[in-house]
This record gives sequence, C-alpha cells and structure tokens, in this order.
Amino acid sequence: MIPEKLRTLGLAVTLGLSLILTACTVPIQPTEDIQSAAQAAPRPELRDVPGIVDPDNTGWPRTVEGLNGSTDVEAPPKRIITASVGHDEMTVALVPLERLVAVGASSKDPTYSNVAGLLAEKPEISRDPETIIAQDPDIIVTSPYFPAEGVEALERVAIPVVQTALAHDAEARLNNILLLGYIFGEEERAIEFAAEVQQRHDNLVAVTGAKDVRPSVLALTRYSDQIWVAGDGSTEGSIIEAAGGVNAAATAGIAGHQTISLEGVIVMAPELIMITQPLAYGAEDFRQDLLNAEALAEVPAINRERVHIVDSKLFTTLSYWNIRGAEELARILWPDDFPNPPAEGFSQAN
Amino acid sequence: MDGQHILRSFRRLSVGTRLVIGLPALSVLVLATGLVSLRLGPVPIKTLDVAWAALSAMGIDGPSVDRTAQLVVEQIRLPRIVVGAAVGMALGLSGTAMQGLFRNPMADPGIIGVSAGGAVGAVTAIAIGLVDLFWLALPVFAFVGAALALLLVYGIAAVGGHISMATLLLAGVAVNAFLGAVISAIIYLIPNEGPLREILYWLAGGLDSRSWDHVWIALPPIAVGAAALALTARDLNLLALGDDEARSLGVRTGATRTALLVASALVTGSAVAVSGSIAFVGLVTPHVLRLVLGPDHRVLMPMSALGGALFVMLADMAARTVIQPAEFRVGVLTAFVGAPFFVFLLIKNKRQVYTL
Repeated sequence: MIPEKLRTLGLAVTLGLSLILTACTVPIQPTEDIQSAAQAAPRPELRDVPGIVDPDNTGWPRTVEGLNGSTDVEAPPKRIITASVGHDEMTVALVPLERLVAVGASSKDPTYSNVAGLLAEKPEISRDPETIIAQDPDIIVTSPYFPAEGVEALERVAIPVVQTALAHDAEARLNNILLLGYIFGEEERAIEFAAEVQQRHDNLVAVTGAKDVRPSVLALTRYSDQIWVAGDGSTEGSIIEAAGGVNAAATAGIAGHQTISLEGVIVMAPELIMITQPLAYGAEDFRQDLLNAEALAEVPAINRERVHIVDSKLFTTLSYWNIRGAEELARILWPDDFPNPPAEGFSQAN
Repeated sequence: MDGQHILRSFRRLSVGTRLVIGLPALSVLVLATGLVSLRLGPVPIKTLDVAWAALSAMGIDGPSVDRTAQLVVEQIRLPRIVVGAAVGMALGLSGTAMQGLFRNPMADPGIIGVSAGGAVGAVTAIAIGLVDLFWLALPVFAFVGAALALLLVYGIAAVGGHISMATLLLAGVAVNAFLGAVISAIIYLIPNEGPLREILYWLAGGLDSRSWDHVWIALPPIAVGAAALALTARDLNLLALGDDEARSLGVRTGATRTALLVASALVTGSAVAVSGSIAFVGLVTPHVLRLVLGPDHRVLMPMSALGGALFVMLADMAARTVIQPAEFRVGVLTAFVGAPFFVFLLIKNKRQVYTL
C-alpha cells in the first residue's frame, strides 16, 4: 500500500511535469502575431481573389499561390522587396514605408515610377539575387518578368518568393491589391484601399460609360524609328476604354504592343492620338513629326491637332495609378464633364 | 534534261552570255517585286494610282491621284523599298566579296567585325540618349562604329604593309566576340525599359519608317562601294588562284585586298546604319547564285547585288503584310527563311565541291 501522502505527492509531481511538457510543446508565437491572429476575422472581400488559397485563414502561417507555385508566409513580413515598379507602387499604398526595404532603379526613377519621390532614399537592388539577399528581406513579391533562375536562387536561401502577374483591367487590379494586402498581413488596409480605387474608377466610369458616341483613340510611342501601338489587352487600351474612348488599334485587330508604319496610323484613322512615351525620350519630337507628316494630313487626330503627350508613367505602369491615367485622358476627351484636375494621388498606409 | 544538267550547261556559257541572260532576268524580278511591294500595304490604293503616284514621285507627270494615296506611295512605301533594295544590294555584294576574299563559303559581311562595329555604334547612340536629341545620331554612330571596327581588325592583321588572311579572319572573330560583349554589357547596364526595347529591336534589323533621308544617307556610299567592288571582280578571280599566280598576272594583291575590305566595310556599314543587323542576306545570296552562275566574280558580283536586293525586298514585303496593320521585323524574317534554306542547300549539295 502506498501511503496517501506519497500518492498525493506523486500525482502532484506527475501533473506538474505534464504541465511543463505541454508548455514546452506549444510553439512560441510573437505576441503581436497572436493578437493579429486573434483579431482578424475572415473577410468576404478576400474570397475569389486569385492566389489566396484559404481566404478564411487570416492567421499565420498563410499560403498563397503565385506563378511560381505555392508559398507559405510564416508571419507578417517586416522586410519586403518587390523588384517591380507596379508592385512597389501598390506596396507603398499598403504598408508603412519602412517595411519596403529596397527597390529597383526604375521604382526610384520619376520617369517610370509614380512613387519615386517616396522611394528616393531606399537602397537600390538589381536583379542579381545577391543584391536582394544582402537587404535581408523576409519576403519577395515580384512580377513574372523576374528571371526564373533568380526566383530559384532566392528560394534556395529560404526567402519566400511570390511571383504574381499584374493586371491591365480595373477588376483584376483590385484583386492584385487584395492579394498583396493578404501576403503582407494588411488585409484591412487592402480592403479599404481597394474600395478607394474602386470609388475613383466608378466615379469616372459613371460619366464616361454613359457616352453614346466614343471617339477612337490611338496610343503611340516611337523609339528610334519604330512606331509602337498599344492594342487589345494592353494597359493603355484598358485606360482608353475606361476614359470613354475606343482603342483604334484594338478595333484594327492589333493585340498587345506591335510596331506599325505611318500607313497603319492612316488606316486606323484615330480621332485622338496620345503619345505615352516620356518627354525625355523624344515625345515632343514624335508629336511634331506626326503633325508635320503630309501623308497623315487626312487623319482626324492630325488635322484637328489632337495629338497629346500624356504622363507616360500613369499609362504604362501596372498599378492603381492607371486610374489617374484614365482620369487625365477623360479630361482630354470630355473637358466639359471633367473641368477640374483629378486628385493628385491616393491615400498612403499609416 | 534535269535541273542539275541545265545549271551545268548555264555555267558553261561565257561570262558575257551569262550576264546578258542573268542581269535582265534578275532586274525584271527586282522591278516586279518593287511594283508589287508598292501596291501592298494597309492603305488600299488602286494599282493604276500606285503606278501614277510612283511616276509622279520620279518627276513624271500623269493623271492626278488621290492626295493621301500619292503621299503614302511617295513618302512611305517608295523610300522604304529603295532603302531595302540598297541594303540588300550592299549585303549581297559584300557577302560575295568576303566569300571570295577569304575563299570561304561561310564568310559574310560580318566576318571582319563591321556589322558588330556598326551595332556597337548604334547601341551606344541609343543608350546615351543621343538618338533623342539628333535623329542622324544613330546612322552616323553606326557608320563610325563599322569603320572603327574595320580599322581595328585591319590594324591587327596588317604586318609591314601586308595582310595575313588567316590573322584577319582570327582578328575578325576576336573583335566580333569583343564587340558582342560590349553590346551585352550595354544592354545589361541600361536600367530603363525604353532604350532597352529600342536596342533590342534595332538589333533585330528592320526597315520601319525609312524615309528619303535614309535613302540619301545610305545610297551614295553604297554606290561608291559597289562600284569599287565591281572593279575588283576580275582581280578577285585571280586571287583565288593564289597570291603568286595573281601577282604574276599583274594583280597588286595587297592593294586589291585593302580595296576589297574598305569597299565591303563601306557598303556594309552604310547598310547597317539604316537597317540594323539584317541576317543571312550576305551569306545566302552569293551562295545560291554561285550554285546557279558558277564562281566567276565578274558574273557573281552584279548578280549578287540584284539577288540581295530581291531577297530583302521580298522579306520586307512579307514583314509589312503578314500581320498588317502591324509589322514584323525584316531581320527576323530573313533569318527565319535564310537559315533553313541555307541548311537545305547544304544538305542537297553536300557532295558538290564548292569552287570559289
């Protein structure tokens, strides 16, 4: 017989050991992660967003499906790198600036980037994986144009990489914002920001969508002597449509970006031509050459002198800044409906 | 009588007879291609209007033509076709000269580094933004690059006033590799998309938006170089016999080689300056014509000029029309067509010994 006191003592020791063992097997989580996991409730806005594997999972880790396969994000990323102008522009809107630790040269170049001013002091990276690794990122979100070998090299050193395509059209652009917000653990901000972008788009389309007669618009650039046109499926094309125009190149059967001769311009007979190349790369010369080309004299946009140089970075980036481009173009197409300049920018993450 | 037999019989004809038959035949083909090319394009223009507009552009008055049609033919199609013909002529001629000079059927205008030099010049002009300040910068830089590359290769190969052909060939290979690396470095270092796109498409070779300005840039040096090459045709035949034999027959071998190199560089550099790198024309054209006409350069030189013009004009016609109103790159098409055709010829004639 075991004495009653000894049995009680043994039970207490066993219970104590069990408690210690149990405590040791529970993973230790940062307090803030536990808090965020506890606070975040599933949001219906995240459903049907391509790339979010389980929209009900607002805790950590979370899984996203990119073009490079499935990636687990263990905790809210604190040191983000994107290596893409469009992704950088969206990231700046979603997370406090200090969480974006380094950017590519194009993101700091005001010719191409709409957030160059915010990123001027950021360290610069190239596509060499080592320059990226040197910044000690805890996640890399980038475009399909980032070299596959580079993605593999980064994954080999255990940095999660999510390769996502950026959209040309308004609805898919909102999904891009929501997906990035989910990856960064900023889904609330992403939902709020997507609503802001959606509102600006809706305000624009409420006017332009009601137009019965839509002018045909041609988006052109010229590099050296090659004239490029933006056709169906291009960013410029979706901007033209949102602004209430008809993309003359898409109507002529051109898909994506293609080279054409001046004859192509004659055949498409646009009522307005917008030049979407930077001023620094000869936009004004191109405009003058178009206006002075005798062969184009019968083209409506030429004989009415409706050849406009637009801010190229609003028309070529793949982010919500395209809405600003559409607003600018709508002011050119419908000056009576849009007498005032649009809001300069968008809200920033706190 | 099979095709091979007809070819052999044709090659046995005298030089004069072959020229009398060949030159008009190929000239008619070039002319017909030019006319068809003038007729084709995104803007529909009636054949008669095209003809009258073309004649009017040449200063021959006729019935009045719709103004747009007139301008399209005169300002867009005609200069482009003329530039294409001049470029093809230059590449065909210099390809023949290089193959004859090196006694190597694989030689082409690029072998002495001229094309790569032109490309480095053009890429530099684009990369540093000069093309946006001054439209002539690109052809001028391309031409200067081609000339410098030739000087470099020539300087390496020339010893005591004599050129070693083996050293010249190796120097060409080395300079080509070096210049290729320079182009890669420039492409790698360019941070922005615009100039990068410009460079890549220039390197693919094309005749987009060629104007009369391009005609006047390219045509005079090509004409001078072509005349010089035509004058060396007889000497090139004699050089094929070996230096001693050629010297004994009165050929100043060193001077002839120098003249051939300079003239080839002049025509190739001028062509590259207005069209970028158009591949395979200088390699395939002399090769094909040699099979038909035999190796005599007095026949081969003028026929290669016309053959090259025909090749580039046909490629450009396809480039302008296959996906119109969009356009394809001529250089890509010549490579697409030229490479398989060249392989076909090699396989078909692999038992035949090429005599240069």
